[in-house]
Amino acid sequence: MRHPVPLTIDDPVWVSAVLVRVPAGFPSPAQDSFDDGRIDLNEVLIRDVTSTYLFRVTGDSMEGIGIYHGDEVLVDRSLTPKHGSVVIAVLDGDFTIKTLHVYPEKVVLHPENPAYPDVEVPSLSTLHIWGVVVYGIRHVYPRKFR
Amino acid sequence: MIALVDVNNFYASAEVLFEPSLAGKPLVVLSNNDGCVVARSPEAKALGINMGDPWFQLRADAQRWGLVKRSSNYQLYADLSERVMLLLARHSLGQEVYSIDECFLLPPDGTPAEQVRWARRLKATVARNVGLPVSIGIAGSKTRAKIATEAAKKLPATGGVVHWDQTPEGYWERLMEALPVTEVWGIAGRLAKRLEAMGIATVAQLRNADPVAIRDRFSVVQMRTVLELNGFPAIPLEDEVATKQQILVSRSFPDRIYDPEVVGAAVAEFAQRASRRLRKEGEVAGRLTVFATTSPHRPGPTHHVSAHVRLAVPTHQPGPLAAAARASLVPKLLPGMPYMRAGILCLDLAPEGAVPILPGVIEQPAPIGELIDAVNARFGHRTLALGRSGTHSPAPWATRQADLSPRYTTDWDELRTVS
Repeated sequence: MRHPVPLTIDDPVWVSAVLVRVPAGFPSPAQDSFDDGRIDLNEVLIRDVTSTYLFRVTGDSMEGIGIYHGDEVLVDRSLTPKHGSVVIAVLDGDFTIKTLHVYPEKVVLHPENPAYPDVEVPSLSTLHIWGVVVYGIRHVYPRKFR
Repeated sequence: MIALVDVNNFYASAEVLFEPSLAGKPLVVLSNNDGCVVARSPEAKALGINMGDPWFQLRADAQRWGLVKRSSNYQLYADLSERVMLLLARHSLGQEVYSIDECFLLPPDGTPAEQVRWARRLKATVARNVGLPVSIGIAGSKTRAKIATEAAKKLPATGGVVHWDQTPEGYWERLMEALPVTEVWGIAGRLAKRLEAMGIATVAQLRNADPVAIRDRFSVVQMRTVLELNGFPAIPLEDEVATKQQILVSRSFPDRIYDPEVVGAAVAEFAQRASRRLRKEGEVAGRLTVFATTSPHRPGPTHHVSAHVRLAVPTHQPGPLAAAARASLVPKLLPGMPYMRAGILCLDLAPEGAVPILPGVIEQPAPIGELIDAVNARFGHRTLALGRSGTHSPAPWATRQADLSPRYTTDWDELRTVS
């Protein structure tokens, strides 16, 4: 059992003023972000700059989930691939983008296009997953100056 | 304690990260103009290829060995280096970036076992996030940490992490007796020869030397090395980034250039590169040294020229820098001399705006550099440049980079493709 200890304050204690108003009514959703300036897409889309890379997709094997030929994808290497993750994997020394399906008895790289076959491997440990796809960039309006 | 983190075969590992089919193959990365080996994959090392080997000596055997070569992709390496250093900084109490692929870190306080666990986690994080393998050595001084890292690199059983205080009894004693003194950080060339003449040929012999006698014979730098080999930290962690004192842009030409005007056009382009770097650092240059030289290795006439210019107005604008570089150097060159290298060194650097200029006394150069940067940012690298550099046919001084991989992470038009 601990007993109360009398406090003595010999030196002045400085308290810094906190410049946040605490509203009594509804909190203003704008308060937090108002002073931060314009939206920075790097901040929104890139969780960690050390582990995020860009790839450009060729071919139509992922059209079923809206990733088209010519799209860029953001890839985060720090994420753990799960069942259903879209991943960049290395197959026979080449990069491939597919959806990862993890079953108790096998692991499947699934193209999101019925024209392509699944690729099966016995387990995750035999598969080299390079990174997990987190965003796709679709060029809705053609890029003019490139 | 101090830790040294070193990326294994950095340039070669960077190439493999974006070209996985190269994994397990003998691979060399070549220096400027594809001259000499500057990085080797483990498989290339196993073939007996050494750092600095000229490519022309390897060419004959390359096909038989299945040896792959790549030109140096400095944009890619610089970006990957920045990622590694940033990640390491997050996980340590202090950092000194020592080179593009090495840095010293302050490990957390704790037992050797705890520090080894920290290092293993760090190694795994760099491998996972950035995708590069590193080796880590931990010891009581930088010089010992360097030796521990070498051991971590060379002995696979260590798993890439070695702690000085966590090795079998007598391990370092035997290692230091076996290693030549040139394996010590900062001991090479003539210094090593002078030490050997004194009977100091191994690391152990240097460690046993009298530090004061070493200081009297050499300098305080070498005395610190002896202290460090004995486990006393004598070289502090320099974790404050010093501002750049000078900016150098220089190149070897792939073929000799005999025409002074062409050498002048080359330094004018180098001046534009220097100008871009100055703008990036937010600095202006007050003085320039511009130089050109013939090959020191070839028989025949040699000529080394340098010109020094003090700029009336310190600047980072490409126009005045390029004009000053060309005008100061060209009159000093001799027509018909085989020039093989030229460069520009920017000195007296100061933060932009720190140098007071009397308005109206000297006219300010127009902000052409910022305009060029803006155009190139929008329309692509090298869309707009001054003079000969603005044309798109390759210049005679353009670096030879026959096997350059794309700038996967720094150029929107060169992203890695995946299907």
